[in-house]
Amino acid sequence: MSKTVNGILIDDTFAEAFGMSGTGIIITADSMKWAKIAATVATGFGTSVIGAGAECGIDKELSEDETPDGRPGVRILIFGFSPDALLPQVRNRIGQCVLTSPGSACYAGLKAEKTMPLGKGTRLFGDGYQTAKKLGDSRYWRVPVMDGEFIIEEDTGITTDAVGGGNMLILGRDRKGLLETAEHAVEEIAKIDDVITPFPGGIVRSGSKVGAKYAGMHASSNDAFCPTLRGTIKHSELSPDTLAVLEIVIDGLTSKAVADAMRAGLKAVTDVGASRGVTRITAGNYGGKLGQHHYHLKDLI
Amino acid sequence: MSGLTLRLKAPATERINLAGITPAKLAALSPYDLARLDVGIEKGGLALGDAFEISGTAGDTLTIEGATSAIVFVGDELDGGTIRVVGNVGSFAGRKMSGGKLEIRGNAGDFLSSGSTGGMIFVSGNAGDNLGGVATGERFGMLGGTTVVEGSVGARAGDKMRRGVVVVKGKTGPGTGSRMIGGTIWAEGGFGAEPGLMMRRGTLIGPSVESLLPTFVDCGKHDLVIVRIISRYLKSTLGALAPKPMPLFVQKIGGDTATIGRGEILLPSA
Repeated sequence: MSKTVNGILIDDTFAEAFGMSGTGIIITADSMKWAKIAATVATGFGTSVIGAGAECGIDKELSEDETPDGRPGVRILIFGFSPDALLPQVRNRIGQCVLTSPGSACYAGLKAEKTMPLGKGTRLFGDGYQTAKKLGDSRYWRVPVMDGEFIIEEDTGITTDAVGGGNMLILGRDRKGLLETAEHAVEEIAKIDDVITPFPGGIVRSGSKVGAKYAGMHASSNDAFCPTLRGTIKHSELSPDTLAVLEIVIDGLTSKAVADAMRAGLKAVTDVGASRGVTRITAGNYGGKLGQHHYHLKDLI
Repeated sequence: MSGLTLRLKAPATERINLAGITPAKLAALSPYDLARLDVGIEKGGLALGDAFEISGTAGDTLTIEGATSAIVFVGDELDGGTIRVVGNVGSFAGRKMSGGKLEIRGNAGDFLSSGSTGGMIFVSGNAGDNLGGVATGERFGMLGGTTVVEGSVGARAGDKMRRGVVVVKGKTGPGTGSRMIGGTIWAEGGFGAEPGLMMRRGTLIGPSVESLLPTFVDCGKHDLVIVRIISRYLKSTLGALAPKPMPLFVQKIGGDTATIGRGEILLPSA
């Protein structure tokens, strides 16, 4: 049974999400500005595993007290299909985007039983001049670079209990109001630890369905939710008052984090959405057969 | 906190060797066998029960009271629990220790924490020569763990040390970090003469050095992130015992260039 909250219809459906591998990395720099620059670049082009190889984003900012070197920092999360798929993503992103960023340093951002290499490959940039410093259980590599030393921890934690693809679709009759509402939801989700919203600004406008009529296309436009097709296709899911649909996709290190993030997002939308033309919230799934994790909207509001 | 207490009965007439005596090992023995452990070094043997008054019940703590420098190898092969010593100890305390805590309320002899791979050693007084140094016939000195000496230490601390951290609140003697392969020695009272002879890698941090070898070279003033990391790590593991943080900029003196020269002496930049 669908229900209505603050004038917004909540579909009786669920978000279907998948098991993924995830890791966390702390990036610090001389200032928050430069920590964010390195983190933003390192997590760039990290929207969907299908095309980008990994789903990445900034989890949170860290104060001086929360980082290993006492400088401002940012924690990023990177998700992939498997530990093997994460490896080259982490190596390339750190090597190309963090090593190169002025004043940066890079540390394990996830404590977990299993570990994966973080600086094991990147340290070789030191060409033999790199040295290691082991303190407690952590080994830090010091790679000489042109502005001093790039510090990178040897390993970081990895979890195979991560979840990718928690989602919600927000429908509305006003495109501007819909975007503002989605932005607000992304801001509220950002307050939850251990999750990211990997798409641009946390929001996807090109929701997809599995498969396509063209060979070689793994995914194609979610036509049932395309407002301009309403009327011309039989299976449109949209009612006449829907002008646009935006989706928020959530990846998290744990299923609980994803559920918490969806709860925060739903609350944000139902709190402010009605006055901005939001009419309905639904979620994307594949009939429940593909993903191990189901997040029922009615359980989260 | 349960544990045994060993109180030295009379001034030792021979060296008392506590090699391999850990709280866990004693806990596995019957009181009968415990008292008969041979801790002497001479032909006649010396039973633990003859040398010490034994009281308490075996647990994760072992307390040694009335200790003197005749007692050697205290905390040898300690892998967990705590050994607390009231008094001085002789050579090789904390030898090959891999975990747990060795707390010495007094002075330690030579070769403190030699070959240790983990755990925490604390000495409230001074320590002798070759702290964390290599023992005869071995390749490396200290291999891990943390050693804190509140007083000063003798010559060649960290000889062939490979890993781990040594914090000296006082001064170190001459030749600190000789043949060092890695690890960190932080001397709050400064380093004695000519540290780092044939040092390959590793870090010596302190406010001053008495004299430098000619094969050590000035690498300039830098704000090294690794110094902040070491500072914060020590603050989190040692609390009030942690050394005061270095200034943002340190003078890096690299060496020993008579070998690969990847070691460093870090001093406050003038």
